[in-house]
Amino acid sequence: MIRYVLGRLVYGLVVLALVTVFVFVAITFIPSDAVDVMLADTGATEEQAAAMRSELGLDRPVWEQLGSFLGNAVQGDFGRSFYTDEPVVDLFLDRIPITLQLGGLALVIGTVLGLVLGIIAAVRRGTATDGAVRVTAVTFLSVPNFVLGLLILTALGLWFAWSPPFVYRGPTEDFVSWAQHMAIPAIALGTASMAGITRMTRSSLLENLGSQYIRTVRAKGAGERLVLFKHAMRNSVIAVLTLIGVDLATVLGGTVILEQMFSLPGTGQLVYQAVLDRDYPVVIACTIFYAGLFIVTMIIIDLLYAFIDPRIRAAREAGR
Amino acid sequence: MSSDVAGSPLAPVVPDQPRSGDRTPPTPSSSEAPPRRRGAAAAWAGLKRFIRTEKLGAVSLALITVFVVMAVFAPLLAPYDPLQQFRRNLTEAPSGTFWLGTDDLGRDVLSRLIYGARSSMIVSVVTTVVSLVLGTLIGVTSGFLGKRKDMVIQRLMDAIQSVPPLVLLLFLAVVLTPSMSSTIIALTIVITPSFNRVARAETMRIREETYIEAARATGSSSLRTMVKHVLPNMAAPMMTMASLLFAGVIIAESALSFLGIGTPPPTPSWGGMLSSGARYVELAPWMIIAPGLILSVAVFAFNLLGDALRDFFDPRLQR
Repeated sequence: MIRYVLGRLVYGLVVLALVTVFVFVAITFIPSDAVDVMLADTGATEEQAAAMRSELGLDRPVWEQLGSFLGNAVQGDFGRSFYTDEPVVDLFLDRIPITLQLGGLALVIGTVLGLVLGIIAAVRRGTATDGAVRVTAVTFLSVPNFVLGLLILTALGLWFAWSPPFVYRGPTEDFVSWAQHMAIPAIALGTASMAGITRMTRSSLLENLGSQYIRTVRAKGAGERLVLFKHAMRNSVIAVLTLIGVDLATVLGGTVILEQMFSLPGTGQLVYQAVLDRDYPVVIACTIFYAGLFIVTMIIIDLLYAFIDPRIRAAREAGR
Repeated sequence: MSSDVAGSPLAPVVPDQPRSGDRTPPTPSSSEAPPRRRGAAAAWAGLKRFIRTEKLGAVSLALITVFVVMAVFAPLLAPYDPLQQFRRNLTEAPSGTFWLGTDDLGRDVLSRLIYGARSSMIVSVVTTVVSLVLGTLIGVTSGFLGKRKDMVIQRLMDAIQSVPPLVLLLFLAVVLTPSMSSTIIALTIVITPSFNRVARAETMRIREETYIEAARATGSSSLRTMVKHVLPNMAAPMMTMASLLFAGVIIAESALSFLGIGTPPPTPSWGGMLSSGARYVELAPWMIIAPGLILSVAVFAFNLLGDALRDFFDPRLQR
């Protein structure tokens, strides 16, 4: 098992290195370089621009830039912001808790509601309840998260003259304000996952409930509740877990737009602002950090499979 | 034209039966549809069967037709010029003159909505078709090459997919100058790996089939085997995937425009309309509700189509 985990980690690092290469190859396609944009309104001379380029290392070939980036990265230095001169790592680490709170809440909301609705629909299959749940799921799958966020804001503003707080306060500092601030973006972000998980839970449960082993469990006289939660659900959880992994990328991406809309100072806002400012070091490093975050979470999900399903565990231990 | 050729367009391709000389070329709109070699008649028959067996699929096709008509005939359908500013009617509520109201610059919301369908459909259609072709090409080649080359190609695809889509789009927004073609390029980079994944998995599956062995045994070249046997047999999952990813592209395009890095203003786009509406949530809610709903309905239609295609092609659900 340890060998398996190590293998996954090495694979993750390889993918992350490839992301870095991709990023550095891509930035060579930038039409006008960062220095031109930064100095556009300052009236700086060509010599000053050239001096700045060499200071930032932009006059070197891209492979050299990539090499020095990787060399520094190993030592924990991912570059500094063009504008504030702060290390990007610090900027990112300062803001990541907010993004993780938002993304985590969204995934929890989506998973819990999705499981509940999916189980209800599967147990009552063919009834009006089942129909209602399925229609709800397809509907919410189709409303983009930022549209849902806007519509909720509009409804609350029109009918209750209420809007969420503008200034972020942490949960330990002012819990009520934090909850008010997080609620709408988390719900908006979580509903799409909820819809997907509802559908997946329903179809996977129906498939399992119709299988031979469930017939055996029923034949030995087990109650419906035991059949459902101890036997059928165990096999469905794997499918749901896979879906959560897929949703993760969407949720992480979604935080960018919702943080912007609800003025939550998370990493999404950091990247977006950096894109508008053409603050390349921040954009480059954050893109890589996001990939790292995603890869780590995928490895965790992968390990959870083995934790949940003894068959997977056995296969991995035998395989490696 | 007999109905026996109307069987599932995805059943393994049978050797071409010579048919009476009326073989019409396939319709250009169904370029990714599998029955290329059987002419438009078979495609038409398949479509009719799809509408008959998949009620929700028929609904989604009807909705999609509405969007296509909106996009193509925008100048005929829109009551006003989408850029014309009625200075005396700023943020006016829906009325007989302005059916869906006006925005903060006094432009007709309905007209902008109809023209917005254009940007959305152009970007989504081009992106989906290009990514479908590219992803299939990469996936099939990778699956066929196997071993080390397959490994390298797939790790590259993993790398692209490990960056959350919207973050990757933001990164690419820095690299490319904002324009419709940049949006298409960026979105193509983001979704091609998904097509690749399905195409590769299908190639791996099909490679093991006996008909491939038979084709090889009769001396069919790799390229010929690919084109004649592998591609037609993966058309079903690819079409389903295309429909679902199309829905995703519509969302992503509007998200980019919403963030101000997609379709550049003043060109009307649903995302752009939402972003200007976000500033007038209480004053002019129609600026949000109209584009929000139409965007959701468009995504809904393609999700529904994807579901219906999946059921339609699923042999276990044959009715």
